[in-house]
Amino acid sequence: MKERNKIGVYVCHCGGNISDYVDVKKVVEAVKDLPNVAVARDFVFMCSEAGQNLIKEDIKNLGLDGVVVASCSPHLHEKTFRNAAKEAGLNPYLVEHVCIREHSSWVHSDNPEAATQKAIWIVKAAIAKVSLARDLESIRLDMKPEAIVVGGGVAGMRCAIDLGRAGITVHLIEKSPFLGGRAAQIGKMYPSGISGIELVKKLVEEVKNNPNIKVYTNAEIVSAEGALGEFKVKVKINPRYVKGNVSDDTISQCPVEVPDEFNYGLTKRKAIYKRDFTYPDTPVIDMNACTKCGKCNPDFNQKPKTVEVTGSIVILATGFKPYEPKEGEFGYKVYDNVITLPVFDRLISISNGKLEYNGKEIRDIAFIYCVGSRNEEHEYCSRYCCVATINAALQALEKFGDLRVYHVYRDIRTYGKYELYYEQAGRDGMLFFKYDPENPPVVERSGNKLIVKVKDLLTYGEEIEIPVDMVVLSVGMEPEMSDVFTMLRVPFSRDGFLQEVHPKLRPVETAIGGVLVAGTCQGPKDTVEATASASAAAAKADTYLVKGYAELEPFIAEINPEKCDGCGECVEECPAGAISIENGKAVLKEALCKGCGACGAVCPTEAINLRGYYYDQLRKSIEAAGGD
Amino acid sequence: MKYDVLVIGGGIAGIEASLTLGDAGFEVLLVEKDPSIGGHMIQLSKVFPTTDCAGCITTPKMAAAASHPKVHLMTYSEVKEVQKTGKEFRVKVLKKPRYVEEDLCIGCGRCEEVCPVLVPREFDYGIVGRKAVYIPFEMAVPKKAVLDLEHCMMCGRCERACPKDAINFLQEPEEVEITVKAIIVATGYNLFPPERKKEYSYTGNLTLIHTNLNPNIIHAMQMERLLAPSRPYHALLRPGDGKVPERVAWVLCTGSRDKSLGNPLCSRVCCMYSVKQALLYTSAIPFGEAAIYYMDIRAFGKGFEEFYTMVRDLGVYFIRGKVARIESRNGNPVVIVEDTETGEIREDEYDMVVLSVGLLSNPELSEILGIDTNSYGFYVPPDENANPVATKVDGIFVAGTATCPKDIPDTVAEAAAAAAQCIAYLKEVGT
Ligand SMILES: Cc1cc2nc3c(=O)[nH]c(=O)nc-3n(C[C@H](O)[C@H](O)[C@H](O)COP(=O)(O)OP(=O)(O)OC[C@H]3O[C@@H](n4cnc5c(N)ncnc54)[C@H](O)[C@@H]3O)c2cc1C
Ligand SMILES: Cc1cc2nc3c(=O)[nH]c(=O)nc-3n(C[C@H](O)[C@H](O)[C@H](O)COP(=O)(O)OP(=O)(O)OC[C@H]3O[C@@H](n4cnc5c(N)ncnc54)[C@H](O)[C@@H]3O)c2cc1C
Ligand code: SF4
Ligand code: SF4
Ligand code: SF4
Ligand code: SF4
Repeated sequence: MKERNKIGVYVCHCGGNISDYVDVKKVVEAVKDLPNVAVARDFVFMCSEAGQNLIKEDIKNLGLDGVVVASCSPHLHEKTFRNAAKEAGLNPYLVEHVCIREHSSWVHSDNPEAATQKAIWIVKAAIAKVSLARDLESIRLDMKPEAIVVGGGVAGMRCAIDLGRAGITVHLIEKSPFLGGRAAQIGKMYPSGISGIELVKKLVEEVKNNPNIKVYTNAEIVSAEGALGEFKVKVKINPRYVKGNVSDDTISQCPVEVPDEFNYGLTKRKAIYKRDFTYPDTPVIDMNACTKCGKCNPDFNQKPKTVEVTGSIVILATGFKPYEPKEGEFGYKVYDNVITLPVFDRLISISNGKLEYNGKEIRDIAFIYCVGSRNEEHEYCSRYCCVATINAALQALEKFGDLRVYHVYRDIRTYGKYELYYEQAGRDGMLFFKYDPENPPVVERSGNKLIVKVKDLLTYGEEIEIPVDMVVLSVGMEPEMSDVFTMLRVPFSRDGFLQEVHPKLRPVETAIGGVLVAGTCQGPKDTVEATASASAAAAKADTYLVKGYAELEPFIAEINPEKCDGCGECVEECPAGAISIENGKAVLKEALCKGCGACGAVCPTEAINLRGYYYDQLRKSIEAAGGD
Repeated sequence: MKYDVLVIGGGIAGIEASLTLGDAGFEVLLVEKDPSIGGHMIQLSKVFPTTDCAGCITTPKMAAAASHPKVHLMTYSEVKEVQKTGKEFRVKVLKKPRYVEEDLCIGCGRCEEVCPVLVPREFDYGIVGRKAVYIPFEMAVPKKAVLDLEHCMMCGRCERACPKDAINFLQEPEEVEITVKAIIVATGYNLFPPERKKEYSYTGNLTLIHTNLNPNIIHAMQMERLLAPSRPYHALLRPGDGKVPERVAWVLCTGSRDKSLGNPLCSRVCCMYSVKQALLYTSAIPFGEAAIYYMDIRAFGKGFEEFYTMVRDLGVYFIRGKVARIESRNGNPVVIVEDTETGEIREDEYDMVVLSVGLLSNPELSEILGIDTNSYGFYVPPDENANPVATKVDGIFVAGTATCPKDIPDTVAEAAAAAAQCIAYLKEVGT
């Protein structure tokens, strides 16, 4: 093929990030007279408007037929430069973005000369590659306005509502029998003072009233597959075993009583139960508890139903679970009155008049912070617990009066306006003790009191013993694990939560195209932050679904039937199942191809090229890089 | 003129909201009061917790906003009046005169070269100077000059030097009327003015050695500029005398968590940006000693605690105590503090002290928009737990630091959230 010979080369200083080590002028000098190059320039920030304009002007005025930008990682700006070229009328895939920052200036900052030489090789290789580049076209993918939201907590509901209101069909899948997630268990919430139940009610009303949202509760995901624009999720809907309208009276007929998980076993519920504040208002029979006495007019013949739902986008909003302390951790499960914060929150909500636990009136409480966070097992801070602990303590004080409260903490992280809660706690006479993680507090029993022994840094390391009736452990958040993560192959961050692509540039996208994250499955958050991230995920989905299409990069396999001898190696190798052998030749199903290139690598006859990375391009690049 | 949405404020929140709306197919007008968009983020060095270079991730967003077919920019402009009639907002925007014709100026900078007047450069918080006619900064969007009439001496040199005849001393303010269906308020924050904390001896004037005010006490935004890849002197030097600072301290909670100054709130980002600056400082000056005076280290976001632990393990000192005063000795700042973990009163001398100033509210549009603020001037979303970006006025949404100090990841999430609320609202009222 004819080589391109009007290539523009642009070397970026990255404001010193590159030019402090790589001699950018020398790079320009080294390539400006190469046969395929029409112009070579350097500029302080190629990605800025002025830098992009430089490229656009050259495309228009010099009629460039290819562009090489040598700057930061293509991960950051390849799109930026492709768009710039497109706006100036050049096929965006004739732009090659190479990295001389991470790959040269940063890693070789100790040897500027070598860094410069390496940058020159990288740029020469890119010029060679562009000189043989083909005009490629992006693949346009139509998007049906339909989305799947997994998880019906506040994040999942917020996201479903925002999408539903924008006219998008939403399948909202919740594994438990009722919508709401964990927020419903909170008494009076910071920062607005609304109760968890009111918050959930409010969102549930909107979900119920939106005709675009289809809710599936008691629903288990059995399989999930597909890609952006065409996800398929199979959902097994477990039966509730009730029929018709079941009155409260009927429910009370049930003879079985088991601990109510909503109140962490502080109260009991029947085997048949419902939750008044949420959806659906149909009760459910807990078959692990039910004795099949038949008093509630049940229908034990109901069978699980499997439905398949489709969506152009999947949003994961599967939430968190509170850390469960190990036996013996700060006396947990060893002493009766050591409980976790979520349990304490329920205890406040259901207690009236006085605060009692295990038949004992509670007059003094110590809270121990950072349990299950900021340690070797969980390096991260769980974010919500400082504020939630102080908030719970303030509520207990407000509701029961006359309590002595001690906070045994590491740092009080009442960030932003939440500081006002901390201040209030101080005004209310609560006492604070700071511990060193090397010397954590110890919980012991003495008579009918628990003793918290702490080496308090605020009194210069004095050993203090605090006698209390109850110890509350401020436990952190862990991600709620789910098979659907593996089904969709979503990556995790180091902390075990789902990994976003970039916290600032693409905070709700995962590495899997079309799979977004919302709420606490991505990291600890309170409801303010969880609902904001859920709306943000809805916004990202809107950019595809309201518009109605997505544009995908053209870098997929291309099979040359003339060279193919039908050996089938590629069929074996393709992880997406995109290749089949028909009439003795390999045939590609383009929609399935992920562009991984595995097929090309095994093809013995070089019949398969990856678009944008054709063999001749790669050979010439390698030659140019090693050429001097 | 008619648009679907007016976005007020061209910081990262406003830019992100505009781009999201544009990508979803809506017509957006982005109004920014400064000569360039970018807000505070474009001034930062690198950003925690990923230590991406702030310029590298902000400039492309700025450029994308400028070139997006659905996003329209109006810089150096202020919203003067907003009136809701039915489902529409009528808005009056005042375009301030740049005294440079925007469509003619090519950003060549020749006017700047010839102008004889030198004044402190806002972009670098006065660490270096700019001319009376100037391009706000290298990566400005739009990259157009602006003439500051207050300092101009009308010599006419720029007018003669300009190859495009773009200088126009006769420009008048221009009032533009527009109609939109929804508004996103992303007007951001104001930096706490460190002069207000008298005990910390900060001087706004960086070149003059004053008896007790010390130019080697700078604020954190100035430190951001000194640490940025595009930094003023291309080297990290202290402003007082140009010496390489070998010992640097950060004083956290300056102007935050401080009732005596009327701001009991925590500013949410200053712990982390100080930890980040300490890391950047020790990488720039490997033999440098860094110390952080704090009350609590608030490393609460994703990856923050890990970042803090790493910096701590690298040898940055953390001393717990609220700094009482900063004095001067031989031109060096001396930090006077009680170490609350030992009870010791310390007097620590440094080459340079950085005041980790807080983020204050910017409530300037609350009356015009008719949305409530709390007693600290931040906008309050009435239904914060369920919908943190909605205001009490249907069709007006708010995002980013306009509601409370917050970091960039949280700001960006809210910006997109506001866009989602806007889209839902627009679809309901009909577009
Ligand atoms: C003790 C305590 C006190 C708190 N106090 C406050 C407060 O005062 N103010 C505040 O703002 N925040 C508070 N929070 C935080 C608040 O609980 C969370 O921010 C909020 O619940 C997060 O919502 P979410 O939707 O992300 O997750 P969740 O509430 O965990 O909801 C996730 C939902 O997804 C479902 N799910 C999970 N996996 C699957 C699957 N595979 N398929 C289908 N469905 C699935 C779950 O059943 C659940 O319904 C507190 C938290 C705790 C623990
Ligand atoms: C020293 C320092 C270091 C920091 N470092 C980090 C960091 O490393 N990582 C991190 O995540 N965060 C950091 N931050 C926080 C970060 O700056 C903010 O999170 C972010 O900039 C907020 O963006 P915003 O768009 O909300 O506000 P802003 O950046 O303040 O933008 C608001 C915009 O609106 C414009 N505007 C205001 N009023 C009007 C009006 N009436 N009409 C029109 N336009 C108006 C302003 O001119 C401005 O352009 C740091 C902050 C400071 C002070
Ligand atoms: S929020 Fe507070 S209690 Fe929770 S892990 Fe962080 S520092 Fe510990
Ligand atoms: S006319 Fe004003 S802005 Fe222009 S060069 Fe003279 S002093 Fe500078
Ligand atoms: S005003 Fe004229 S001289 Fe100044 S930057 Fe613009 S075009 Fe150049
Ligand atoms: S973030 Fe840290 S430095 Fe800033 S006000 Fe809060 S506690 Fe103080």
